[in-house]
Amino acid sequence: MENGGYVGGTNPAGKKVIAELRGVSKRFGDVLAASELNLSIGEGEFLSFLGPSGCGKTTALRMLAGFEAPSEGDVLLDGEVVNTLDAHHRPVNMVFQQYALFPHMTVAQNIGYGLRQRRPRLPRAQIAEKVGKALDVVQLGGFESRRIWEMSGGQQQRVALARAIINEPKLLLLDEPMAALDRKLRKEMQIELQDLQRQLGITFVLVTHDQEEALSMSDRICIMRDGRIVQIGSPQQLYDRPNSRYVADFVGTSNFFDGKISDRSGELATVALDNGMSVQGKPGADLSVGQEVCISVRPEQMKLHHRHAGVDVEVHNRIFLGEHTEYLVSHETLGDFLVLSPRQSELAEGPFNVGDKATVTWEPSAALILDRN
Amino acid sequence: MTQRTRNWLLLAPAGTWFLVMLIVPLSVVFIFSFGERAPSGGVVPAFTFEQYANLPARWTAFKNTMTLAPVGTLSALVIAYPLAYFLAIKANPKWKTILLVLVIVPFWTSILIRSYAWIFLLGGRGIPALLDFVGIEGVRLINTPFAVLVGIIYGYLPLMVFPIFVSLDKLDKRLLEASSDLGAKPWRTFVQITLPLSIPGIATGCMLVFILLMGEYLIPALLGGGKVFFVGNALVDLFLQSRNWAYGSAVAVTLVVVMLITVTVYMRLISRLGASREDVSIM
Repeated sequence: MENGGYVGGTNPAGKKVIAELRGVSKRFGDVLAASELNLSIGEGEFLSFLGPSGCGKTTALRMLAGFEAPSEGDVLLDGEVVNTLDAHHRPVNMVFQQYALFPHMTVAQNIGYGLRQRRPRLPRAQIAEKVGKALDVVQLGGFESRRIWEMSGGQQQRVALARAIINEPKLLLLDEPMAALDRKLRKEMQIELQDLQRQLGITFVLVTHDQEEALSMSDRICIMRDGRIVQIGSPQQLYDRPNSRYVADFVGTSNFFDGKISDRSGELATVALDNGMSVQGKPGADLSVGQEVCISVRPEQMKLHHRHAGVDVEVHNRIFLGEHTEYLVSHETLGDFLVLSPRQSELAEGPFNVGDKATVTWEPSAALILDRN
Repeated sequence: MTQRTRNWLLLAPAGTWFLVMLIVPLSVVFIFSFGERAPSGGVVPAFTFEQYANLPARWTAFKNTMTLAPVGTLSALVIAYPLAYFLAIKANPKWKTILLVLVIVPFWTSILIRSYAWIFLLGGRGIPALLDFVGIEGVRLINTPFAVLVGIIYGYLPLMVFPIFVSLDKLDKRLLEASSDLGAKPWRTFVQITLPLSIPGIATGCMLVFILLMGEYLIPALLGGGKVFFVGNALVDLFLQSRNWAYGSAVAVTLVVVMLITVTVYMRLISRLGASREDVSIM
């Protein structure tokens, strides 16, 4: 977005703001890694930074952790500007991408590390007790004296988690914590993380490039691109009302047709598609007549018919997914696109086979008119 | 060709080398050490402990070696560690290679020439003259244990810097961030994370320098001026000057035994340090 500002989605009402980025930019030499970030994070919230690698999400996280100082703007924690406050003074803890566990220490020593840095010193017995509790929370009770290299990847991740949460941080930062886990373990950890977050009430900030992960765990997602925040909102808001083609493409799957706005009146607008067709749709953002836009229609919003007025297509591929059937259909000028057909409508309309001629329809309100970027 | 013969073939060059260059000479020296001195120099075969009984006559050489080698090793460690730390962790990656090369460059010059430079620096017209100029008179540096120590540290510093540099360079920098993130101040991060994880480098560096120092000959000869001499100097003297091979062999065998014992004890210590790091309180 042009202003790079606070785009869509607000901090959930009634929540105390625990961390804030105000016009934060970060330069590494000539490279602008983060630009004009504005974001407030509510207490107890689960917020995700989502975007492809190099979009600035990790830089944003590192500025919250205190590993990088912003070039411009302010980072606030609990209402105080902490721009240059060192990491070891911040009530923030991080779960690192490859966990960064201390290889020369046992599991218990790793987890108790944060507590051992406290001054005045905590009694040993108290540290041991807290370590035991933290291990129970991550379901690793009894693993105290294990060495790090004796633990599996999933177990190491739990140790990293326990090492962070034992300090009861105001903010728990997670840098692609699931990236090194296999698919099944990742699913399990996602659910566990969510449970843990509810149980502890700690604010979680997750960085990920995995949209599924962000969608399934977060209260709010902050979508980033080229160092900027593109859109902030709940997973549902982002899915239903993306503010750009980029977001619609990144969150879920969608079909896009390029065109120009030819008319605007009331709720709907008319778009003259590049192939000459004229389609009605709902403007997703402020768009004016003559502007180059695209129309985004989610596959599940499209209906496939045998005999009905609509867009004429030919079925190219059919994948039966149980509750849904996914069709790849082809239009002479619009090209290929996806239609997701629920089981019930399959029963009513009958199946479509590869090579069948069919028509596709959708509600004008399901066709979002979006910025082409 | 079976796997077994192939293994033997691959081992053959190194094995032959060890046999001809190490085992055989050592055995000869061992046998000589029980012999008697021939009137014209060389050895008359015999079986006597007379040479070993005479060892106390060379006590000073052993004493010098056994003090200056450990002191030199520790001094080199104290100087090398900050340097290696800077190179591995603090230095701008762009300059790292150049700085590393600068550490090696002195190695391209013969130790002989470099030691001569120190003779001048520590000699009457060098640093003492400078001190004299500012009013500190009568300082003598050359031909003292201090001069030998300076030469040793200077000569062996790169051998200490490199192993430590390697262990610090491959240290995962995220561990340092994690430590800071968990509330450790920079000094505590160093003590609890950096230092323990660089112990392998420290151990290797100390071992390299110490073993080489035990056999050092050139630096004491040049900077000690015959006043501060090592076992190495005693050996040269015995074999080449007084041509008392039997006695020289006894001194050599004793040096090898002393070295073996020290190194064994040292290895034990290091491996225990490594194994018991979990028991050592890292609070």
